[in-house]
Amino acid sequence: MLISTNQNRRRFLRSSIGGAAAIGVGSVLPECFAEAATAGKTMDDRVLVVVQMSGGNDGLNTIVPYADDDYRSARPKLSIPKTDVLKVDDETGLHPSMTGMHNLLQDGLFTVVRSVGYERPNRSHFESMDIWHTCRRKDEPRSDGWLGRFLDRQPATSGGDVPALHLGREQQPMAIASTKIRVPTVKELAEFQLRGDDKQSLRRLLQNRKTDSTEQDNELLRFLQSSTTSAISASERVAEAASTYRSDVKYPQTDLGNKLRVVAQLIDAQLTTRVYYLQHDGFDTHAQQAATHGILLRQWSDAVNALVRDLEAHDHGKRVCVMTFSEFGRRVAENASEGTDHGAAGPMFLCGGCVEAGIVGKRPNLADLQDGDLKHEYDFRQVYATILEDWLGTAPTPILGNSYKSLPLFT
Amino acid sequence: MSDTESMDAAWAWQPFQPSSERPWDRSAAAHLFRRAGFGVDLAGIDSAVKLAPSDVVIGLIAQNQEPSEFRSTADTLAKATLAGGDPKKLSAAWVYRLLNTPNQLIEKATIFWHGHFATGAEKVKDARMMWNQNQLLREHALGNFGELVHKISQDPAMLIYLDSAVNRKAHPNENFARELMELFCLGEGNYSETDVLQLARCFTGWEIKNKRFRKNRYQHDSEVKRVLGQNGNFDGEDGVRIVLEQPAAQRFVVRKLVRFFVSDEPSPTDAMIQPLADLFRENDLQVAPVIQRILTSNAFFSSIAIGRKIKSPVELIIGMLRSLNGTTNTPLVAEGLLNVGQGLFYPPNVKGWDGGRAWINSSTLLGRANLIADVLNDDATLFDGKSLSKYLRERDVRSLDQAINHFEHCLLAIPLDNATRSRLLETATSRSSDQDRQMRSLLHAITSLPICQLT
Repeated sequence: MLISTNQNRRRFLRSSIGGAAAIGVGSVLPECFAEAATAGKTMDDRVLVVVQMSGGNDGLNTIVPYADDDYRSARPKLSIPKTDVLKVDDETGLHPSMTGMHNLLQDGLFTVVRSVGYERPNRSHFESMDIWHTCRRKDEPRSDGWLGRFLDRQPATSGGDVPALHLGREQQPMAIASTKIRVPTVKELAEFQLRGDDKQSLRRLLQNRKTDSTEQDNELLRFLQSSTTSAISASERVAEAASTYRSDVKYPQTDLGNKLRVVAQLIDAQLTTRVYYLQHDGFDTHAQQAATHGILLRQWSDAVNALVRDLEAHDHGKRVCVMTFSEFGRRVAENASEGTDHGAAGPMFLCGGCVEAGIVGKRPNLADLQDGDLKHEYDFRQVYATILEDWLGTAPTPILGNSYKSLPLFT
Repeated sequence: MSDTESMDAAWAWQPFQPSSERPWDRSAAAHLFRRAGFGVDLAGIDSAVKLAPSDVVIGLIAQNQEPSEFRSTADTLAKATLAGGDPKKLSAAWVYRLLNTPNQLIEKATIFWHGHFATGAEKVKDARMMWNQNQLLREHALGNFGELVHKISQDPAMLIYLDSAVNRKAHPNENFARELMELFCLGEGNYSETDVLQLARCFTGWEIKNKRFRKNRYQHDSEVKRVLGQNGNFDGEDGVRIVLEQPAAQRFVVRKLVRFFVSDEPSPTDAMIQPLADLFRENDLQVAPVIQRILTSNAFFSSIAIGRKIKSPVELIIGMLRSLNGTTNTPLVAEGLLNVGQGLFYPPNVKGWDGGRAWINSSTLLGRANLIADVLNDDATLFDGKSLSKYLRERDVRSLDQAINHFEHCLLAIPLDNATRSRLLETATSRSSDQDRQMRSLLHAITSLPICQLT
């Protein structure tokens, strides 16, 4: 049986606010409770899911300029045949494995921003990724990431739901490094649950909010008590999400598919987490690119399609945006081992119920390259600025360090 | 006296004199041991109560170097992990030290300096360099701050971490110079951007070659610089000296020490800091006299300190074990600490751990409870080499009620209220009749309580 989200929310509010009011500590309620109580589909309610394609995605074979003769001549072996692409218009098509994205595009849920990059591109995976994560160059101090700075500017909700979550086994991405908040990396959902065979009684013990005078004059203890209560509620909601979550959408049985299904469950469980961060690795295709790249794109396209469809079905479609990026695109010309080397500008992707669907930006000019690479038309920070301002509802300039012209990416 | 504003700064740092209102008892002694280290067992607490508090502190401070026998065992263990080159294994070797050191204050202070001169293995990637830095911090943990800063400014792990492994005249690297002033010695607002540029020039030519520090005189900018109001043809040592001469230095470091040893919040007032800052400077930036003054003070034994800090993950887990003479699976603890936000050798960034409320969110709270469960369920976890129930029986702890009292004395800064006590009893009684299982369940429950996250 499908449990409606409103029911979930009401039940949750009853258990937490009722309990807190009973002990008269309304003023120290974690922000998320107050927020949840009044939440509509406001800016505060919106979620950003970031999918990082690690290794440098070949953008030219993702959003394919199939009618361009320069494309064919630069890639005698790797170019995607005209007959295979999933056509968008007379000159552009999607890689044939991206049926999921093609469907999203037709339904108005998918946006591509072409030729995104930055000045003086760096072709090191790490350095370039750091630049994307922090918006800063190597010679500048960079202790935090762009999303970390966004989190830092949010009203303090420490003790409540985690403000951002990194799902995966990899090292935590710099993008969510913050000076104030330690964003957790969760390898699997089980980590969000109390473990052990006495967890039921422990949960009851910890959730009991009965208090006495000692607690009243120790603000830190009150903070810990309310944090614990909200942790237990969050974990209950997550557990409930995991056990009662029903979806007609079939997620692909891949690592990314599994992780995105978890994201859908958490969003549906009404967690107040604003940012989910996931990585999809393997795009460093120097040799025998065709097969690998096709698989990776299919995994990504199918998994994100499933997530977006699932969220739509659960009435969260309009409050979630999935952003995908990679640290660079690849060299225009294929190399001698049927692969491509590190390049520069590449496409970014946004999916969700609020995106202005279509393709933003000109067809890349393959006759006007810079050191064999595509020149960028948009700075990646323009996309960030748009997301920050139009999606997350915050002023982008203090976060990005400069003012960037935003793009028409949201409806 | 619920906050530092209303506390008289002179009174605050005067020696604590026990009185009937604020006695030197089990609770006060346990507080001292938790803050000056991670905790000791009840027998240790009881023998300390028989001494004067100041004598106990003097004893702790006097142990300012590891005894050679323990050191050689712990070093051997750590060095054995270096061959593999994985800094994660090094974390477990540090856990061993935390659990077994006879000099807890040194390890506590070493963790303080690790957070202060935060250097992350994720970036340095070299276990041996991380280990060498750790030894440097330990050696100077209770020593001279100035000497430590001079050494850290030539420490390979630090320079790699702050992108200063090659610092050339044509492109001075500002990162280390900036952090030296902002995070290590002075704090924001006590230097200008020009000072950063000029100080960076002093460090040109400093580089890491074959994993060792060296000065490359061809890359050193030997022109005149102007740093913090002084002019001269300075090199890096001069730069560090000039930074350390600033009056902001003593205030900056002392403020951090007070937060670490006394309370997270509210941040101590300038008036509270000044007497200790003066003491620090008078002692030529020796750390031990400041810590000694803190640990013997009225403020330290007052309500602004007791139960007014959130335990770090290390304090929680090592504290539980040390209070019960526990030993355990050290890699499990090392990994668990990383998961709940305090991976040893893996600070979040160059600012180190913020501590306080930043330790806590729904994920880390559940993670804390789970880490304790994992540790208590691990076969390697023993108390004095025995099961928990046997350990307790040998101390005449036979009933659940007595066990609650025992754990309360060792682990809690604030006494349990009756409601929680009876709920704990219910929780543990409802468990199986296996007594060891019951005791572990009780310990797990107590250490997972919000109140046990306080120290």
